Amino acid sequence: MKLRYALTGLAALALGVGFSLAAQHPPDAVQGEFVRIINVHVPASWLAFLAFAGTLVGSLGWFATRRSGFDSFAAASAEIGVFFTALSLLTGMIWGQVTWGIAWDWGDARMASTALMLFIYLGYLGLRRGLADPQERAKRSAVVGALGFLIVPVVYFSVNVFRSLHQTQSARPDGWQIESSAIVVSMLTNLAAYSLVYLAFVVWRTAQEAELGRARVDDLAGAAISPPTIGVDRD
Amino acid sequence: MTAWTVAAEIARKDLRVELRSGEVLWITIPFGVVALFLVPLALPLDNPLLARVGSPMYWVVLLLFGMTIALRGSAVPTEPQRDALRLLGVDPAARFAGRVAATSMLLWAFQIVLAPATFVLYQTPLPPSWGLLIPVGLGVGLGLAVVGTIAADVTRGLRSRTALAPLLVAPLSAPLLVAAAQASESLANGDSILLPALIIAFTVLGLAVVGVLTAGPLEESAQ
Repeated sequence: MKLRYALTGLAALALGVGFSLAAQHPPDAVQGEFVRIINVHVPASWLAFLAFAGTLVGSLGWFATRRSGFDSFAAASAEIGVFFTALSLLTGMIWGQVTWGIAWDWGDARMASTALMLFIYLGYLGLRRGLADPQERAKRSAVVGALGFLIVPVVYFSVNVFRSLHQTQSARPDGWQIESSAIVVSMLTNLAAYSLVYLAFVVWRTAQEAELGRARVDDLAGAAISPPTIGVDRD
Repeated sequence: MTAWTVAAEIARKDLRVELRSGEVLWITIPFGVVALFLVPLALPLDNPLLARVGSPMYWVVLLLFGMTIALRGSAVPTEPQRDALRLLGVDPAARFAGRVAATSMLLWAFQIVLAPATFVLYQTPLPPSWGLLIPVGLGVGLGLAVVGTIAADVTRGLRSRTALAPLLVAPLSAPLLVAAAQASESLANGDSILLPALIIAFTVLGLAVVGVLTAGPLEESAQ
């Protein structure tokens, strides 16, 4: 319990520092104030990858051990991954409209593949909602959790394989592709802050799922016992 | 009996069931051709435009109606059938392979009907090296069959199956659609189709590996 609150406090603090840095760095000569979107867009995209990797780990962990904790972890990761994928798409579209003059470009492999990734994990969450039995849900969603991750490398490397509107990765072996060091520091701080948000959310949701699981077992145990009937004539 | 023989027997059984029900032959295939017929009605009467959209429409109709084929009712064995196969000790991976093989054959048959219909209705010119489209079509059919079989198993018995299964299949098979459409365009322009062919090959391989590895655990879920 202490870890949950400590992580949440730390994440809130880191977010506050990240936002203040994002508000302070100078505007870009070309993009103006809209350059600040990078402080949300890049961490959100990174977090989506991290979260779906978490779903893969949780799914494979469930296959290996059949422990419900792995399933809860996979589900929590997918939930946060879907949220941050949607946020990444939305902020990307706003930034694209301002910088490229177009919010959505069908020729851009990164945009299209990110949208597909969102739909795959929406399907994952939809599948979980359709299954009441925890064992069934864990088994079937672990398959989709493992299968769905196939798209993650496609999304990540799409900017390298298909050169279109979206720029390649900001951090490359030959150095940063962003000129202003203030923007790099601010973006990295937000990246760390968002990662802490992910950790805090996953810890909370995993614990919540475990409590729900225990409650279901208690329900079942209670349902198996029926109270004796008093005062009924058995003849 | 080897696993391959078992897979072949399962495929034969699935095809026999399909022949009896006629679900694909008499419903899905004509419906797919009707869809190809409807699109030009919604477009302006412009023959060059139709010729340009013919090939992409072929792949879109194949993907959408292929999903119907892959998720057809007779593709999912009933519980008594599953119990019988389990009692016989049939390897889940062989069963998966057999079901994929049967669905692939139906999808290839669908393509055999769909391709001439596209050329006639859209007046799409055949690219010079059109023979290269055959392995592309075979790969797309196989990939769609693999992802459809997995989705059919994952959504088995769910009330929301009819909506949920396509939601899982469509985005997972999108790389196949993109690569197939790119291959057609490259062939029409006389370019290489190496990259789209590799995308199809790796997508099919990745899906098949996950399908075979998860066939066993998914089988357990029916118990």
